[in-house]
Order: sequence, then C-alpha cells, then structure tokens
Amino acid sequence: MNQGKGHEAMYGSLLEAWMKTADEFWKSTALPGPSSSDTYGMPEGFQKKTDNKFQESFESTMKMWSTMSSVLREPKAMDAVTKGAAAVPEIITRTIGSVWEGYFRIQQQIMEKLGRIGEDTEAFKFDKLDENIFRVCADIYEKELSPFFKVPQLGLTRFYQERLDDTLDKYHTFQISFAEFLRLLYLPIEKSVKVLQQKLEELTKEGRLPENSQDYYRMWIKILEGHYMTLFKSPEYAETLSETLNTFEDYLSARDQILQDSLQSVPVPTTREMDELYREIYHLKKKVRKLEKDQSKD
Amino acid sequence: MEQPKIPVDTILRHLAEDAEKVQDRVQKASDILLGQLDTSIASTPYEIVYEEDRVKLKHYAPTSVGRDGVTTPLVVVYALINRETMLDLQPGRSVVDSFQKAGVDLYMIDWGYPTRKDKFLTIDDHVNGYMDNVIDFIRQHTGFEKINLMGICMGGSFCVMYAALHPEKIKNLITTVCPTNFDTDQGLLHIWMRNIDADRMIDAFGNMPGDMMNFGFLLLNPARLMIDKYVGFLENMDNKTFVENFIRMEKWIFDSPDVPGETFRQFVKDCYQKNLLIKSRMKLGGKRVNLKKITMPVLNIYGQYDHLVPPGAAEVLTSKVGSTDTEDVCLDTGHIGIYVSGKTQKEFVPKIVKWLGEREKNSTAPKTGIKDKKPVPKKAPQRARPSRTAGPKPKR
Repeated sequence: MNQGKGHEAMYGSLLEAWMKTADEFWKSTALPGPSSSDTYGMPEGFQKKTDNKFQESFESTMKMWSTMSSVLREPKAMDAVTKGAAAVPEIITRTIGSVWEGYFRIQQQIMEKLGRIGEDTEAFKFDKLDENIFRVCADIYEKELSPFFKVPQLGLTRFYQERLDDTLDKYHTFQISFAEFLRLLYLPIEKSVKVLQQKLEELTKEGRLPENSQDYYRMWIKILEGHYMTLFKSPEYAETLSETLNTFEDYLSARDQILQDSLQSVPVPTTREMDELYREIYHLKKKVRKLEKDQSKD
Repeated sequence: MEQPKIPVDTILRHLAEDAEKVQDRVQKASDILLGQLDTSIASTPYEIVYEEDRVKLKHYAPTSVGRDGVTTPLVVVYALINRETMLDLQPGRSVVDSFQKAGVDLYMIDWGYPTRKDKFLTIDDHVNGYMDNVIDFIRQHTGFEKINLMGICMGGSFCVMYAALHPEKIKNLITTVCPTNFDTDQGLLHIWMRNIDADRMIDAFGNMPGDMMNFGFLLLNPARLMIDKYVGFLENMDNKTFVENFIRMEKWIFDSPDVPGETFRQFVKDCYQKNLLIKSRMKLGGKRVNLKKITMPVLNIYGQYDHLVPPGAAEVLTSKVGSTDTEDVCLDTGHIGIYVSGKTQKEFVPKIVKWLGEREKNSTAPKTGIKDKKPVPKKAPQRARPSRTAGPKPKR
C-alpha cells in the first residue's frame, strides 16, 4: 500500500515536470513566426491569403495543445492521471494474459483435432488398411482438415479468399475419391494375376501347361474381364464412380469460380457473361423460328 | 524313358519361334506404318442440301435402280454421341454405299460439333426443331408427303419421339440399336446412369464432353477395349489392310462431339432415370410423346450382344406402339458390329430395303404441288468433298 503511494508520488513529480515543459513548449511554438519571407515573389493577394490560412491553422492547433497542457497541470487533473498511470502495469498484464490464453486455447484445439486423426483411424482398424485407407482419409479430411478451409474470411477480399479456399477444399476431396476409384480399378488386375497363378499351379500339377505363350495371355485376359464385370456390377463401384464424378464436378465448378474472378480483371468476357449471351440468343432464335413457321403457315 | 509332366522344351521352342515372329512382324509393321496408308473415312461422295446452325443434311443419291423399288426417301438420324461417319467407315463395308446400290434415295443428318453456345438446346429443339425442319425440307424438296425414317441408337430414340409427335409425315419407321426401355439391368450403362447426378454434371461442364463419354464407354469393358484391342493390333500390325481398318475405327471412335448440356440432362433424367419414353409419359415442348400415335409400320433391329443397348432396352418398343405392322430383328452381333461387321453387312441393309420395298407397294405418288412450295434451305445446295480424312475438327 505504502509502495503504491510512493509510486504515485514519483509519477506525480515526473508528470508535473513534463507537463510544465510541454506547456511552455506549446506556448512558445504557438507564437506567430516570421512573416511571409518564404513566399517572396508570389502574387500579393495569393501570398496574403496563403499566409493567413496556414498561420491560422497552425496557431489554432498550437493553442489547443497549450490549453490541454494547462488543463492537465491543474492539481485535480494531475492527481487523476497519476492514479491512472499507476494502474497501467496491471492493465498491460491483463491484456497480455488474455492474448496468451486465447492463443493457447486455439493451439489446444488444433492439437485436439490432430489427436482425433488417430482416434478416427482406430475406428476403422488397420487390419483392413488397404480396403479402408481411402475411406479413412476421406473421413479424417472431412472432419478435421476441411473445416479449416471453411473458416469465414473477413475484409475486402473475403469473397475471393473464400472461393480460393473452397477450390482447395474441393480439390482435396476429389483427389481422395479419385484415388479410391483408381484403387478399385486396379483390384481386378491384382486378383486376376493371383487367379492365373493358381490356375497355372493346377495345370502344372496336371501336366497340362499351355505350350503357346498366347494361351497364357488369353487365359489372363478372360479372367481379368470376368473380374471387371463382377466389380462393375457391384454397388460399391457404382457408389465410388458416382462419388468421384460428383467431387470432380464440384471441383470444376469451384475452379471456374476462381477463373471468373481472374477474368474479371482482364478485358475479355467471362464464361458466365458468354452463357448469358448464349441464352439470350437461344431464346431469340427460338422466337424468330416460331414466327417464321407461323408466317409460312399463313 | 518317361515323358516329363511339363513339356519345357516345347514351351521354350515356341517362345523362340514367337520371338522370331515378333522380330519379323515389327520389321514389316515398320514398313507399313511409315508407308502410305489409306485411312480415310466417309469417302462416299454426298451433297449438303440443307444447313441450319451446326446441323447439315447430307444427300446420297442412289447409284442404281433397286430391285425392291424403294422410291420414298429415307432419312437416317444418327445419335448425338460419336458421328454418322460410322455408316460409311470403309470401302466394301459401307451402309451408305449399300443403300445407294439398292436404289435408296438416302439423306443423313450430320449433327456437327456442338459448342458452348449450344448448351441450352433441348431434345425438343433437336426433335421438333432441327429434325422437323429437315424432314419438311425433304418433303418439299422431293414432293413426297411422307418419308421413311431410320434412327440409330440415341438417334433412334429421337425418331421414336418424332414419329409419335408427327405421324402424318412418316411412312415407315426403322429403329436400329435404339434404346427405348431404360429400366433394365442387362447393360452396365443402364445401371451406372441411374446413379449419375446429371444436374451437377451439366452445371459443371456446360456440354457433356465427348472425351469423357468415351472414357466411360471404355470403362464398360477395359480388359477388351483398353488392353486386348491393342494387343490385337500389335499381333496384326504387319497386315496393311488390318492396320488401315483399325485406324479407321480409331478415327471414328475417338471423334466424339460434345452433347449439348440440356439435351444430355433431359435424356439421362427422363429416359435413363425415370424411363418416361416407353411409358408414353415423356414431354417435348409441352407435348406428350404418346407411343400409341406411332401407327406406321415399325422395323426394330438390335444386336444380341450389344453391351450399350442390350436386347432388353430395345425389344420392348414394338409392343408399346400403336402400329399393328411391327417386326423385331435380333442380329447375332454387338452395338457397332451391326453396321460394320462383314457378316451383318450382308443381312442389315438387304433386310431394311426388302422390308421397305414390301411397304412401298402401298405408297402414294409424290404430290407435285408440295414441290412448288418455297424451299427451306438456308444455303444453296453444295457439292461436298468426301470428308474428314485429316481427322476430327477441333471441338473448341
């Protein structure tokens, strides 16, 4: 408590000395300067007008600072300022504290999100990793990474930034779907080779191994075709194909939005503008043709 | 001495022989591929008699008087997927040439290459717009009140729609590999199309890219279409005729115009997903496509091994139309084989010409008055060169 009062007295004497100096400085500065020597050679009317305007503005600013300094030198005002100054360290500490707390909270959230990646992977189990890996990736991406691209943007460029984020998001989603689609397409090749090996083992045991190399190829291609037919009829394939197409189309639409933004800054019509024009031409042509037909009937 | 279970020596001998053969084949193939090759397609001369936007009407005049006496003009409507050049792929195996030799006055719609400006065109614009204008033009140009209409694949579906909406203009309807019943699990395409989000697709692409559709078709049988086909090419690349015909087919198959967005959207949703056409519930331009209005004779041809339009998708039509004169013909081939295989070449066109000839006897003579009407063409008829020897026109 005594220490606090000591601080206040110290701030008070320092402030009083600074205020006194400031008051004298503003008063001396506010005094009129040398008259119009800088504007020598200018037309008389303009010279006078310019001098007056500048000087008036300067003097009024200086007077305002001088008044403020004088007011602050009043004992009551000095007292209030001194008390406020004593509270500054506390305010700074609280501000820094809240900033750090917010930062740590965000960091904690990110760590939690990253931590959940492991939890999600566990849910699908790694014993069927080759089958589930793309689904796991898609799930992790959707739950933990995609939200970062959906954070609302601020400011003048918010719409452009959001469209860019959206494109990146859609691109990653498409890549995951496409990778799964390719994996499905590769499965029959892998399986057909295994089946061919088994078949060859059987033929070897029976001593009926084909003598012609083309027979091996024909055997393999027949097995491969059968595997593809089985795959293509499966609901899983239809679902993956549909998902791949959907994500690809979403990505293209998002990408086109960015292209529209880019094209707007160059002197060429955008696709959207051209489409509007095409639509108008289409309807006009239809109208003209109908009129032509009606006229020829008459 | 006991014979070994596995004839290793024979296998090794065959391998050595194969290696020698491959060496020899590569040498010959190199001479063939570096030499002059005739890989032109659609080489039969024709005349463009009508043009509207990207759409052209090709006219192939008969080269002889046919025995079957078919005088009524025949209009062929191809699908919007791939091009009508398939009907004139190679000399000796040309549907167009066979029709000309049979004395048929043949017209064929070339849908051209849709661009982004065509994305708003619907099925209605194709059927009640372009097709109707083309058919009116032929009717006025030739003086026939009714003409014969033949559709291929999706073009067949368009012809069915047209015949139901304008029966007064069609004398006979021929549908070939034409999907009308989409509620079948026989073809993978039908299964996949049910899961396609057509709205999202068209919103993203504008028009349906031809290359993407081609990729989808390849995926229907990747073992055969992406591996075995090219292994077959490698095995026969020392045969010049084989190489020429193989490249002709490659040229045709990868010459895929985009499909106008709104047309694709409607075809997938109304046909593949809701199966409205065969139920007579599909609407074009506000008018219902009632199959019972198809009262003219109908010949329906399809392939037993067609993986794109399986028999289940094609054969139902004749039982749903209003006509009492219908015939189904199932040929022992696939989707493209109907038009290009040597075997079906001997069956396909002769069957159609004979069938038309039998119905020609009841034909009404051309009404001379119609011919005097103001002609429709936007451009004067012009002699066209045999087209597309230099590959497909850039799409965009």
